Formats: sequence, C-alpha cells, structure tokens
Amino acid sequence: MTQKPLELILARNLMSALSTPAFLVDEGGVLVFYNEAAGTLLGRRFEELGTVGPDEWGSMFGPFDASGAPIPYDDLPLVQAVRNGRPAHAEFAIRSTDGVSHSVEVSAFPILTVHGSQGAIAVFWPKQAHSNGAGPA
Amino acid sequence: MRIKLWGTRGSIPAPGPETIRYGGNTSCIGVTLSDGSLLALDAGSGIRSLGLALGEEPARLHILLTHLHLDHIQGLAFFAPAFLPQTEIVIWGPASPEAALRDRIARYISAPLSPVEVRELPCDVSFRHCPETDWEIGPARIRAASVSHRGPTLGFRIDDGDSSLTYIPDHEPALGADLGRLEEDWISGFSLARDTSLLIHDGQYSDAEYPKHVGWGHSALRDSLTFAHRTGAERTILFHHDPLHSDDFLDGLGAEARRDWAALGGKEGAIELGAERGEYELPVRAPSPIATV
Repeated sequence: MTQKPLELILARNLMSALSTPAFLVDEGGVLVFYNEAAGTLLGRRFEELGTVGPDEWGSMFGPFDASGAPIPYDDLPLVQAVRNGRPAHAEFAIRSTDGVSHSVEVSAFPILTVHGSQGAIAVFWPKQAHSNGAGPA
Repeated sequence: MRIKLWGTRGSIPAPGPETIRYGGNTSCIGVTLSDGSLLALDAGSGIRSLGLALGEEPARLHILLTHLHLDHIQGLAFFAPAFLPQTEIVIWGPASPEAALRDRIARYISAPLSPVEVRELPCDVSFRHCPETDWEIGPARIRAASVSHRGPTLGFRIDDGDSSLTYIPDHEPALGADLGRLEEDWISGFSLARDTSLLIHDGQYSDAEYPKHVGWGHSALRDSLTFAHRTGAERTILFHHDPLHSDDFLDGLGAEARRDWAALGGKEGAIELGAERGEYELPVRAPSPIATV
C-alpha cells in the first residue's frame, strides 16, 4: 500500500462534501477520485469505476468541442494543470453513460506543496444549470 | 527502545492538583534508542524536565518537532542542555513554504517573547527539515509524513530493530471522512501507524465534545480508537489531553476507551491514556545497553 499524499487526502475529503462535480488526479495524472456529483453527471459512480490511468480517462466520456470533435488529451484543463502547475479553464461537452451530452465549463488547478506538485483538481460547471441561474449542479 | 512521557497535555500547560496524575506539561516524549542515542519528540513544557534529567554530561540529542504550535515548542527556551556548550542538538521539523525551520522557531526564541535569541544559545544547535524519505539516527530508521492537522504537521515512525514507535499527537484523520469505511491508503497517517508496536496518538476530545471542535485538528475518542484498530497498532497510548480534562474526567474517558476498544474487538490492555512520567520499553532484536533519559 502506498499512502496517498496528505494534500490529496484532504482534497478528496473536501470534494466528498461538495455538490459541485469535481475530479482529482495525482501527480502522474491518474484519476484517483471523483465525487458523487461528478458520478451523477457521468452516470457512473467512482466506486464502480475505480482509479483510471491517464491514457484512459481522457477519452472515457468524450470530451468533445462545439463541432463534436474529440478534444486532445493534452489540451484538457486537468492535464494542463498537472503538467504546467498552473490553473486552466475550458468549455466542452462530455457524454454520460446513458448517451446524453452535457455542456460544461471546467476549471482545473494544481495542488502544489513544499514537495512540488501532488496532482490537480478539476471542477465542472454544467452550462445548462448555470445559464438557468440555478447555480452549479 | 525506551520511551518516557515527559508531557502529555495539549494546547497549554495545565498544572494543578486536579491534573497531578496524568500531568500538566505539554507534549514531550524522551526516546532512548537501542544504542543509547537520545531523541525528544516535541518540545512542549515537558522537555524542561527531560533536560534536567539529562544533567550536565556531554550529550548529543535529536529533537523531532511534529509542528510549531506553541504547545510543541514552548519548552525549547527552558531546555537546560541548550545552555551547555558541550551539548549538540539537531532539531528536525516540517518544511514550510513560508520560512525556514530556524527562522520560524526564532520567532518564539526572540524578543519580546524570550530574553534569549537562538544565536545566543551556547550549545551546538542545527535545524533540518525532515526529508520526504526515511533517514537514520543511530540504529533507528525514521520516517516523517504529513498528517491532518492545522498547518504543516508531521507524524513520526521510529523503527529500531523489530520494534516501532509511531507518534501522531495532533491528528484529525476523520475530518470530512468516515474512518471506518475509508480505504487504507486514503487515511491520514495510516502508513506511519500500520502494525506499529506502540502508537501514541491524539485523544484530545470525548465523543460528546468533538462536534464543537470539528476542524480544530484533533480527534474524538471514537476516531482515535478506529484509527488504532484499523492500523493494527499493537498498543496505543491516547495523548495530548485537553487542558480542561481533570484526572477524574480522564479516568472516565479511559474507562470509555477500554469499553469501546473491546467493542471494536481490540485486545485487552492494548489501550490506555498517557500519564506524565509513564515509561515503556519496546524490545529490539539485539538488546543493547540502554541509557535512561
């Protein structure tokens, strides 16, 4: 067993308490957690999926640009946040397991510590809910 | 390994007739390794008594600080060996993006809080950030890891021969999490405490008190017990007693701990509350002469 860094543990605990869809990757880009709200958006709970390597999760649910073309993995905000150590933002669509497309805004930011980067968090803002003035899902 | 509790209290010293059995001094533990090397875990007010016990013989001592809250460093300026030129002290502590360890400690050992400055200490003192990887002191392997508390805070594991001591005095691993259900690798401090011979762990609050102190960085009794049980610690000492807890209150908390521990399926006699001057000995593979701290 490899202990997760404390910063990831605290991030997961915080995300677990949020109703905003949120995703967590470690320093290697492995998807190590997403919360219940994200599971609702994707149509699949994290407990059913488990950890997913960086070469897989980027294409599991899309994402697609406005023309429906797949967005390259390297351009995803979460990837940029981990690699560059800087926040990143984008708008795209994802497809949940039931085939429904969801337009989202995504903000990702790196988790930086005295020991360097430990990973990144991405928060998804469903655009439909946002435009309805209902706030984040 | 020989272990002596010189201060078991948390937050602020709480001397008085109502705390005489469990003690009023803040966090400090003396550890004598199998080759006689000396460690002090934290430097609360209890380190004053440890220093007096060492006398004036030349000494080399490692002080391992979990964090720099006052109850873990307030004894440094009153540690007698620090005022002896023949003493060599290495102070280990958590790194911080804010400032170097020496500079952060110097905020306390300087005017107007102290009549002495760090640079004026006659001993040979050095400051080191705890590395991310294990390191050695004498025959022991030391591991430090960040744990859930307020501000940069470490827990320590000391392996000497077959025995191990884990020290996590300030710890709130259940903050925002259900300790009973969380995967092991997602539990703060788990790898430090896994199958350890002796776990010294935060036990500041009763279950009834905890709801008013969520996020303060300390544990409820049930969470301390769950942590100890899940990590497989052979023996656990609950530590960092709240300054409001009298001896009588702690007697009751101890009884509750033993009852709840049994309900978890824990081994009888494996849970207790730390009392000042309490001594413990952990056997090592090859017994060596042991100096008493």
